[in-house]
Amino acid sequence: MADIVRKRVVSVEGATVRERLQAMDDSAVVTAFLGGEERAFSELVTRYQTRLLNFVYRTIGDREKAEDLVQEVFIRVYRHLHRFDRSKKFSTWVYTIASNLAKNELRNRSRNPLVLFQTVQKNFQDEDRPLQFEDPTSRPDDMYRKRHLREIVEESVAKLPEHHRNVFILRELEGKSYEEIAEITDCNLGTVKSRLNRARNSFAEIIAPYVD
Amino acid sequence: MDCREFNEHHLAFVDDTLAGIELVRMQLHVAECTSCAKQDAKVRRALLLFRNLPSIEPSADFSERLEARLRASQNDNLFLTTQRNLRRGAIAATVASAMMLGYIGTTLYQSDMPRDLVMPPVVATLPEPDFTPITTSAPAIVTSVSAGLTLWPAAVFAEQVPVSFAHSNLELANYTR
Repeated sequence: MADIVRKRVVSVEGATVRERLQAMDDSAVVTAFLGGEERAFSELVTRYQTRLLNFVYRTIGDREKAEDLVQEVFIRVYRHLHRFDRSKKFSTWVYTIASNLAKNELRNRSRNPLVLFQTVQKNFQDEDRPLQFEDPTSRPDDMYRKRHLREIVEESVAKLPEHHRNVFILRELEGKSYEEIAEITDCNLGTVKSRLNRARNSFAEIIAPYVD
Repeated sequence: MDCREFNEHHLAFVDDTLAGIELVRMQLHVAECTSCAKQDAKVRRALLLFRNLPSIEPSADFSERLEARLRASQNDNLFLTTQRNLRRGAIAATVASAMMLGYIGTTLYQSDMPRDLVMPPVVATLPEPDFTPITTSAPAIVTSVSAGLTLWPAAVFAEQVPVSFAHSNLELANYTR
């Protein structure tokens, strides 16, 4: 009986800690983790896993590899969090790591044609799988149209030059400010604006024939 | 506003970050210029499509795999730390052994060496200086002094006499020529 009561107390305490962590901003969660609260790291993973996955996936275009890279991001965060400059934004730091890993991946692919071939082949195979994010109750022709449109958009983004695509995704998908993008991509503000403007115009040009 | 200026400010126009006056100018240009209006609509529509892309979710085993990788990474770290500590310990032991061997070697070498002979200190005294009286070393000069002439003019005179004579002889020879 005493054990059950103790377990309940622990679980209530655990829930309280989790709730408290959820209510904190990133900086406070980081401080909690560095103070020895291991659950704070899970909170950071929960907050960033989907956002980072989307960002990396849109950048490199390979879902499995994107998951691997996001995991690598969290491992690096775990290892080096004590070195993180807490006067800066945690999200900017995390996106910088993710952006660098994605860039390295693209560079490796361009150097290794076999990897590029395998990625392309895998993406073709992925197209045969059922879609996960569409409403199965909707009409087949509607599903097909949506799926087709999504593929066109993804292909159009993939056609952008890497440095344009990176800025474009950070701004349009992640909603980052110009200043944050400049910090993440290690460029000056003028370069970010110029790349974003070009990326928008190029993307609009690429996709226009499909949607007009 | 011309089309070039419109394109320059288009980024901020789409992001809705333009100041009031600029915004009105841009809106006026869109209303007037068909080509810019078309481009503006094309960009906005494309962005709308991209922003509405369905979000992808991590796979079901994402957290488990991450945990496993974190654990493996921690083990790697532990292994690396242990290895590093062992390596440091080995280096310290080697250095300590080398120092110890050096010390033993030096001690043995010193005990084999013949010791220096210890001599009694040398006591020496300076000899007293030997004072000698000043003596004249030129008796001829002393002699000339006793003749009533000063030494120096007498010496000059004695040296110059033959020269002046020769000189007068030469002059005489010139005159007679």
